[in-house]
Amino acid sequence: MNLTTNQARLPRQVLAGEVWPALADRHVYRVDPDGRPFVLPGMGAITLGVHCGDHATGHAADHLEPGASVRHRDSAANYALQYLTCVGNDVVVASGPAASARGHVIGQHAYVLVDLPEAALQVMAPGDQVTVMATGQGLTLADHPAIVVKNCDPRLLDQMPGGTTSDGRLEVHVAARVPAEAIGAGAGMISEYANTDLMGAYQGLGDDLSLGLEGLRIGDVVCLEDSDHRYGRGYRPGFLTIGVISTGQCMLFGHGPGPSTLMSGPAEAFAVVLDDAANLVSWLHPWPEESADDHG
Amino acid sequence: MTTVNLVGYAEHPVLGESAYRVDRDGVSYVPAGDGGIVLGLELGDSVFKLAADHAAPGACLVHPDAAARHALTAFACIGNRAVIRTGAASGAVGCVLGKRGEEGRVIVGFRAADLAVMRPSDEVAVQARGQGWRPAGLPDAVTVMNTDPVLFAALPIEIAADGRRVAATVRAVLPGKLAGNGIGRPAASWDLDLQLTEEASVTGSRPQEPPEVLLGDLIAVTDIDARYNMGYRRDWATVGIVVHGGSPLPGHGPGITPILTGPAAALQVRAQGASHVGLTAAMVQLQ
Repeated sequence: MNLTTNQARLPRQVLAGEVWPALADRHVYRVDPDGRPFVLPGMGAITLGVHCGDHATGHAADHLEPGASVRHRDSAANYALQYLTCVGNDVVVASGPAASARGHVIGQHAYVLVDLPEAALQVMAPGDQVTVMATGQGLTLADHPAIVVKNCDPRLLDQMPGGTTSDGRLEVHVAARVPAEAIGAGAGMISEYANTDLMGAYQGLGDDLSLGLEGLRIGDVVCLEDSDHRYGRGYRPGFLTIGVISTGQCMLFGHGPGPSTLMSGPAEAFAVVLDDAANLVSWLHPWPEESADDHG
Repeated sequence: MTTVNLVGYAEHPVLGESAYRVDRDGVSYVPAGDGGIVLGLELGDSVFKLAADHAAPGACLVHPDAAARHALTAFACIGNRAVIRTGAASGAVGCVLGKRGEEGRVIVGFRAADLAVMRPSDEVAVQARGQGWRPAGLPDAVTVMNTDPVLFAALPIEIAADGRRVAATVRAVLPGKLAGNGIGRPAASWDLDLQLTEEASVTGSRPQEPPEVLLGDLIAVTDIDARYNMGYRRDWATVGIVVHGGSPLPGHGPGITPILTGPAAALQVRAQGASHVGLTAAMVQLQ
């Protein structure tokens, strides 16, 4: 997008985090929409084999977090890490056998979610340190004052197709439109932390649970209808929120693949274009080292 | 059905280092009335009577041990008897009027004179019963929860003699997309906030929102299944009792504690509008 922004005035801050273990409790089971207990991995640690562009649902997983799930040990430092990190921020692995591998942030889910090349993820483990080059909070669009942008690295915005239309709206390409009925856990939370689970995307369960969202992919940019995420996350008729799917398959009822918020404003401020290619994989790949190899 | 005596303590409100929260229009506010002992709010009052955040009609009970607090919240049911054991109101009898989620709170109503002399940390015994109970003749597909059996009989709920249907008359039937905080959380211990705004209640600017919702009203929400966690299921209905007032926070609003959930074909709901009478102070001897 060719837009006038305050990008030059945004600070870049070096943040630290570590890959966090997967967590469970002694009761082990959680309950699916039909009341059946399940034990499934997906949240925390290093989740292999699922990257931007891959199906979000259909995995035998719960709250699937692609790649590395990152936190900070200190509670207040962790909130800073979670709030200040933006989708598209560069991440460098700082310890362990994958040290110096580079990836990028694809979203927040009470963890910072980092997609990295599969070869690096194969040798990473909980406890590995990562460095996040955080920038993006505070980003404003001079020609679109009604739209609040958050959690968005300015370089990601540069690379996304769209921009200001002849009638002054912001054209944004999305892979799917999401009805307000799909908004699950996450409503009522602030929009700089975790994401908004979408219901109606359970694969293999009843038709009465479906809202037609089973085709979502990790990294898809989506448009949430009647959602206002400017100051938190709530239902507001006539508002739109643009987000990026950062988590996948859930079996816990009322949960599902979730978008991290990128921007929000009145519907008339946007010109939404449906575009299958509206996925982070279109703009943040090839991986930096793959790119370097191509040129080397 | 099993009855257990539990204990909770009148809550002191808690805030973080900042006094402010941010409302749905981006304006900061100080969240008065969120938990603790709130005076001047009773069953039958509008959910927007007070300029408050999640204000509940009475005292919120908590427990210093997190697991005990969750148990108190999960096992207490609307209509359960509560007795104050310490402090100036010691011996006063009240009634559970609802529950709230997250860390868990049990909302207990008392007569105004008793509530006025309570203070945070007063000890209150709750005789918890109702979870696991099913009224005779309830259709198999319908689940009842969070309700004392004696109170259930007094609510505007009719079980058909043939056991195929249960009918509830409610203030309003709302679409599931108005459900906010509480979706994806367990209905036994978490209320479901309805994203109703005072502005819309006054101006009628949102046609799907009822003009007036009162504390104690029964409200039905369509396409929400609350048997386990609460979530979207087409052609279902959930009926709850309004347990706390509105909130300026986006994604929040007046909350219901679910009491009935089932397929719409078996759980029939009828909006009664202005003539609706839900849970009243007389019904639970709080007058």
